[in-house]
Amino acid sequence: MASPGALVYLAWRALVAHPLKRLFRQRGSGLDRFRAAYVSEGLVPTRLDDRAVAQAASACIACGLCETGCELARATPAVRALGLHAAFRLYARSFADLPLAADALEACAGCTGCDALCPTRVPISSVVAHLRAASRRGAG
Amino acid sequence: MTAARDVDVLVIGGGMAGAVAALAARSRGAAVVLVRRAPGATALSSGAISVAPDLGALPGEPLASRRSPVEAAQRLAAAWRDHPYAVAGVERLAEALAFAAAELGQVLAPPLDRRRFLATLYGSAVGAGLCQHATVDGDLLAVRGTLAVAGFRGHAAFDAPLVAAGLARYRPRGGPEVRAIELDLPALAPGAARPHELALALDRPGAAEALGDALRAALPAGAGAALFPPVLGLDPAARVLARIRERAGVPVAETLSDVPSVPGLRLHRAIEARLAEVGVEVVQADVAAAPAPGEPVRLGDRELRAAAWILATGRFVGGGIARRGVLAEPALRLPVQAAEGRDAGVQLALRPAASLTVRDRRRPQPLLSAGLRVDGALRPQDERGRPVHPRLFAAGAVLGGHEQATDGTGLGVAILTGFLAGRAAAGGG
Repeated sequence: MASPGALVYLAWRALVAHPLKRLFRQRGSGLDRFRAAYVSEGLVPTRLDDRAVAQAASACIACGLCETGCELARATPAVRALGLHAAFRLYARSFADLPLAADALEACAGCTGCDALCPTRVPISSVVAHLRAASRRGAG
Repeated sequence: MTAARDVDVLVIGGGMAGAVAALAARSRGAAVVLVRRAPGATALSSGAISVAPDLGALPGEPLASRRSPVEAAQRLAAAWRDHPYAVAGVERLAEALAFAAAELGQVLAPPLDRRRFLATLYGSAVGAGLCQHATVDGDLLAVRGTLAVAGFRGHAAFDAPLVAAGLARYRPRGGPEVRAIELDLPALAPGAARPHELALALDRPGAAEALGDALRAALPAGAGAALFPPVLGLDPAARVLARIRERAGVPVAETLSDVPSVPGLRLHRAIEARLAEVGVEVVQADVAAAPAPGEPVRLGDRELRAAAWILATGRFVGGGIARRGVLAEPALRLPVQAAEGRDAGVQLALRPAASLTVRDRRRPQPLLSAGLRVDGALRPQDERGRPVHPRLFAAGAVLGGHEQATDGTGLGVAILTGFLAGRAAAGGG
């Protein structure tokens, strides 16, 4: 059984202090406050469509067949060395690592030549478009 | 909408099994449509088709194996009742291999009675029952003189001294003398180019000739052949091997490949080219929850009716068997079997997929041998062991009973069962 002093303190916080704080210290919505705390660390919230993309991307077996159909007109050294599936792997490991693949993602010309080449049916071009949008959101 | 078109045979899957099945049915005069959605595991092939490993050979001494691939397959079938070689019978294996090699003769070399021993990227040797033209002159038992292992300066994916040191170990077993040499890549591509980029660069006029000249200048005395990384051209019509050989004066070959695999892509392209050449119509579409043979089936924007179907959808990479909590066959919803020890059954496949692996990785893994159970005519069976449909056949990795990714029989099973299923579906032997 908690001490009467502790109960009185909790009641004061719940009934007086917290409502007063909510009334006079407006810091935006919950999402805004979440972002203020986490986005600076590279951790943006995972939304339902992020989850769907992560599940689609997790079928990647890193076979490299997609790269043979990839023109990558504006290829960066990062893409040349690792290929676009590096972005998939970085994303699978940790969302906070996604900015490392930003150059590779920006280099994609969106030709969709890769989609028909994937043996495990990853919708590669839409995953790349989604990751690029996420990486821009995270960077902004 | 137009009425459903009638054809004789519908093949579902465009890897090796589906292609050989379509070609075998087509060569009997059947009208064949092949539907596939993407390249399958065949496009990841190393370039060697092992057919059947010699279970009696010591792992470190591949060249000591003197048993032919067909004989090894017979022994394997006798020892392993559930293996597709045992279920379908290996009597026509040699015929099937010769058929595949002839149909895909643009890339595949005719089989010998013995295995060819081909070098890997890491300096080991692999016995192959069937292989590509690009590897034939690198057969360790056929090289007359010194084998020059030729790497490209600055090409990180291939270490010529490592490969040479590895291959020198086979000298006492009849392998050649080996020397490593390094060549520049004259005006080809940056050294860090990916394999298919190097291969495309060599396809272009002048590139293979320049490489041949560079090779000639660097060849050691008494060289009998040169072995390159697996990048010697994507397009067989570009004759990269012959062009290098004409300038260098020695036969040239490539090693087997890792993924991404140029030999695998070359094989995939040759399959597509051959299907088009003989008049097999290829449709790119997804097939899910299809009805039975004889009934109209929707393929993309058209409808088709075929008297016989051949299911050649592969296993986990190709998508023929899916892990959705339990193991499932998505195209026709056929029952999947898995084996644990000697017990094979459908019940096992209804367990969560994660429970079908065992910790000791040398023991048989039920998950890895999961697939369809078929009768001797390659017709998938239902839970009670009866054929699902008299004109429904299955071929390749979608068949269960063998660990197709690791047991060294993958493409051999695809060729044998594809051939038998194609002939059966076309009617007559």
